[in-house]
Amino acid sequence: MAVFTPQIEEKIEHYLQRYETRRSAILPILHVIQDEYGWIKDEHIKELDEKFQLHRVHVQEVATFYSMYRLKEPKKFRILFCDNVVCCIMGAKQTMAKVQEYIVAYEKAGKDCPFSLEGVPCLGVCDGAPAMLINKDRHLKINPDNVAEYMERYAPLP
Amino acid sequence: MGDTITKVKILTQYEGMSNSRSLSTYKEHGGYEALAVALKKSPDEIVSIVKDSGLRGRGGAGFPTGLKWSFVPKTEGKKYLLCNNDEGEPGTFKDRYILELSPHMLIEGMIISAFAVGAQKGYVYTRCEFFDEIKWLDDAIKEAYEAGYLGKNILGLGFDFDLDQYQGAGAYICGEETGLISSLEGKKGQPKLKPPFPAVSGYLGCPTVVNNTETLSAVPWIVKNGSDAYRAIGTEKSPGTKLFSISGPLKNPGVFEVPLGYPMMKLVEEDAGGLLEGEELKAIIPGGLSAPVLLPEDVKDLTLDYEAIAASKSMLGSGAITIIPKRQCMVELLKLIMDFYHHESCGQCTPCREGTGWITNILEGFFDKSATVDDIDQIYAICQQMAGRTICALSDAAMPTVGIINKFRDELVSYIERGTERERFSYI
Amino acid sequence: MSDSVTFKLDGRDVAVPKGWTVMQAARRENVHIPHFCYHDGLSVAGVCRFCMVKVEGRPKMEIACNLLATEGMVVETTSDDVKQAHKWGLEFHLVNHPLDCPICDQAGECELQNSYMKVGKYKSEMHRPKVLKPKNLDVGSQLILDTERCILCSRCVRFEEEVTKTNGLGIFDRGDRAIIGTYAEEKIEHNYQENLVDICPVGAFTSKEFRFKQRVWFLEEKDSICNGCSTGCHISMHGKSNELRYYRVKPKHSAVNGHWMCDEGRHSYRYLNPEERLSRWWYKDNMNERIAGGKDEGLSILARKLKDTNIDEIALLVSAHQTNEEYEALLAYFVKELGISKVYQWRQDHEDINAFDGILLRGDRNPNTLGLQNALTKFGLKAEVKNEFEKCLLSGAKVVIALCPESPQSFPELKEHLAKLSEMPFVSAWSAHYLPEEIETISHTVPLKGFVEKRGSFTNHEGNIGELSDPFPAVIHGAVDVCEMIESLRELMG
Repeated sequence: MAVFTPQIEEKIEHYLQRYETRRSAILPILHVIQDEYGWIKDEHIKELDEKFQLHRVHVQEVATFYSMYRLKEPKKFRILFCDNVVCCIMGAKQTMAKVQEYIVAYEKAGKDCPFSLEGVPCLGVCDGAPAMLINKDRHLKINPDNVAEYMERYAPLP
Repeated sequence: MGDTITKVKILTQYEGMSNSRSLSTYKEHGGYEALAVALKKSPDEIVSIVKDSGLRGRGGAGFPTGLKWSFVPKTEGKKYLLCNNDEGEPGTFKDRYILELSPHMLIEGMIISAFAVGAQKGYVYTRCEFFDEIKWLDDAIKEAYEAGYLGKNILGLGFDFDLDQYQGAGAYICGEETGLISSLEGKKGQPKLKPPFPAVSGYLGCPTVVNNTETLSAVPWIVKNGSDAYRAIGTEKSPGTKLFSISGPLKNPGVFEVPLGYPMMKLVEEDAGGLLEGEELKAIIPGGLSAPVLLPEDVKDLTLDYEAIAASKSMLGSGAITIIPKRQCMVELLKLIMDFYHHESCGQCTPCREGTGWITNILEGFFDKSATVDDIDQIYAICQQMAGRTICALSDAAMPTVGIINKFRDELVSYIERGTERERFSYI
Repeated sequence: MSDSVTFKLDGRDVAVPKGWTVMQAARRENVHIPHFCYHDGLSVAGVCRFCMVKVEGRPKMEIACNLLATEGMVVETTSDDVKQAHKWGLEFHLVNHPLDCPICDQAGECELQNSYMKVGKYKSEMHRPKVLKPKNLDVGSQLILDTERCILCSRCVRFEEEVTKTNGLGIFDRGDRAIIGTYAEEKIEHNYQENLVDICPVGAFTSKEFRFKQRVWFLEEKDSICNGCSTGCHISMHGKSNELRYYRVKPKHSAVNGHWMCDEGRHSYRYLNPEERLSRWWYKDNMNERIAGGKDEGLSILARKLKDTNIDEIALLVSAHQTNEEYEALLAYFVKELGISKVYQWRQDHEDINAFDGILLRGDRNPNTLGLQNALTKFGLKAEVKNEFEKCLLSGAKVVIALCPESPQSFPELKEHLAKLSEMPFVSAWSAHYLPEEIETISHTVPLKGFVEKRGSFTNHEGNIGELSDPFPAVIHGAVDVCEMIESLRELMG
């Protein structure tokens, strides 16, 4: 079976042509793959090497260097919570503890929790601290009291 | 100065307008007029105007922009203009605000700057997490192409320039100009050895200028209004306006455009509305996480310009002002700062790779009660040997650490002596 | 304008060509500036930050490896602040290094260890737990990788990128989590793997071949020339003469091979050790029984045989594995003095003599093809490189003196050829290598010295003369070289 769909292959080809060198296309192509499949699998990297001549060592270096690429199968909703200075001053750690409680409550209900939580460096929205991303959606002024509401919008507790 | 300061709006002139991001709004209020002016002049004239304006790099280092441009060799061949829109310095969110208000201002600034330095191709390197902003800028670039501001023979005046946006993938180090170049080349965002400098050998070995979003966005106004008009704002050595992003426990945190030389406490108390009820000022980080911390007495009469903040042994940096409230434990703060640098060190140079990890490691001892007062001196010694010893300035992350040790040593010592147990959070 | 610049290095005026770095100048002048990531044969990475020097008038210390020497520059490498910087440079490298020297193969030739002694950073400042990383990884047919020992100097990555152009290694992740490795569990397959072991300044890469065999400080090193192909890489053989054993081969820097050599060449030591060597003189005694006898008896049997045979029925079968000096002695005696005309070249059946791997290894797997050609020409014999083995078989010669190729790894047909030779009436095989079944059916054998056990020279593919100047004592008692054989024969034949 083909590793990539024809649409994705077309996008890959587009990026390979778009920049001065093929190698420059590695970051955008990994974004395309992650957006489509949720994460970057070994078979994707092998295919990029064999079919598109992007050296697997170069791709793997990039995929592991940048923190936004996922190399393990993700949960449906990836929460990136800023745990840098401003957000922490404004209560990020306490709020993250609440996120964790939500996840634990979900799991206690015997269900596989669709959320994962990671602390990340500054998201560049300190005026709305504490801030978090759920997948690509930005949420601001999150606090221990309102964080569950945000999570419920994505997946209410069972 | 005080209350008499008139606030000229340059970068934030589209604030409050509906549809401010659209080409029509931008044009309605004079957008792309500077471009027509610029393309009728010679590139050298533009470089001179920007030189004379005294515009300094707004990304953090404050290097004179016109001077940076003049390092580009006048030879034929491929040259690049890169916009550093990888806003990642914690506490900084000013460039995001420009994209939110008027992405066309950046585009116009880039076309003029590219004309000045002889670049035929430009990239805006935007941090990954700015998903909305990336879309806004992409849309604006598309509009600009359709309107003939980008591409071949711009405005029929014979200048060709192509512009594209490139999305980062989560690495603070790509905000360092050569790290950005490596990343744009599709590699790990590791800074490059200098010499050679990017102006001579940058992106793919071609002469390359890297400027910050805010710097480039100021160029249209300067070209249109002249260098004297820009110099009339701000101080003699720090002319013009600057965006300050101010955050922390404030009534009205946000981005404010003020002339350089503006009193810091006026910004805190008036523009940002002062601290929230019940909060008291303990310290201020004046220029992004890498700037050493200042005490209330240091900032009482401090003005926001490169020279004044440098004189107070910190730096203006990216103009990110972080308010540290009284309740904040400085050991926790120090750990947060070092966790960040530890996480973001690219790992290339040994002193930074090992030093950031080592300091974080020692700081762990503050929380498991194994630390001794000697550890403070050891952190200090490690910082002294890291700073300035690496390819890029990330190892100068030692500076805020030294700053905290200098100003809050007593608090660190008493933390160790009390043996405080840290509040642990299970998410880690 | 002058093409050189003069600058002050630790108070001494030093003139170097324009474009040289301070590191290059210091290395030429034997001024030691400690370094890990810098390597003469690779591009400058400037990442270990160990080679700090002070330039007068500049605020910060700078790295010597990326510091261009300029006219009038004043450079200090030993001042107190520079020494302090070196101490800390080392300390940063040791923070997460496991310090498992007692079980590390690199001990004794470890740049981290050496620097530790030179810089004198005896007391560790690090009292916290270290970062742990994967160890004992099988990353190639010749390689074991310990990522914890790695100091991330990137020499190996640059070697893969610049020399073999295989890009087999990368540094993954970032910060102090950064880790060296191959993609997934791939193995490095090329023929230059052991260079990675050589250039690794620590014990991150160790050689499967050499691991745990010997502590390096017990080894004697003697310079020689690789006999694996016509490139003639300059090498040093590492062995122990008291044990009569060889342990490994390392490349020596030269204009011929730069800093590198191939793995196949390195494996030549295997065929020089006693168990692989022809150790006896075999011949038939009076009762026509094959026996392994002594040198004197072996020599006199051969001399008698030569005397009893018509000159026209004596042939020489000569491989291109012997030295120039040996060919000179051989041909001077047999061709010029005795008047033998049947001289045949003995080469591989399936060779692509012009093949080249783009780095060092050539299709001509003989070290001295050109030397043999020169000698043949000198003695008035046809000079054209070709395999005349079959011709020799069909020559009708009653006595053949066969100078055998030295190792089966560069001469795959050796076994088969020897089997064919054993069917001839009388063959005296002069060989260093031992192939029990074949050798023992040959009428007469002479144990030769290995190439690292004799003096002489090889002429490589482009006419470059490589000297074998520092021999080990032969590991085989009674082994001779061709010159000694000729001398003895001349005496016996009168």
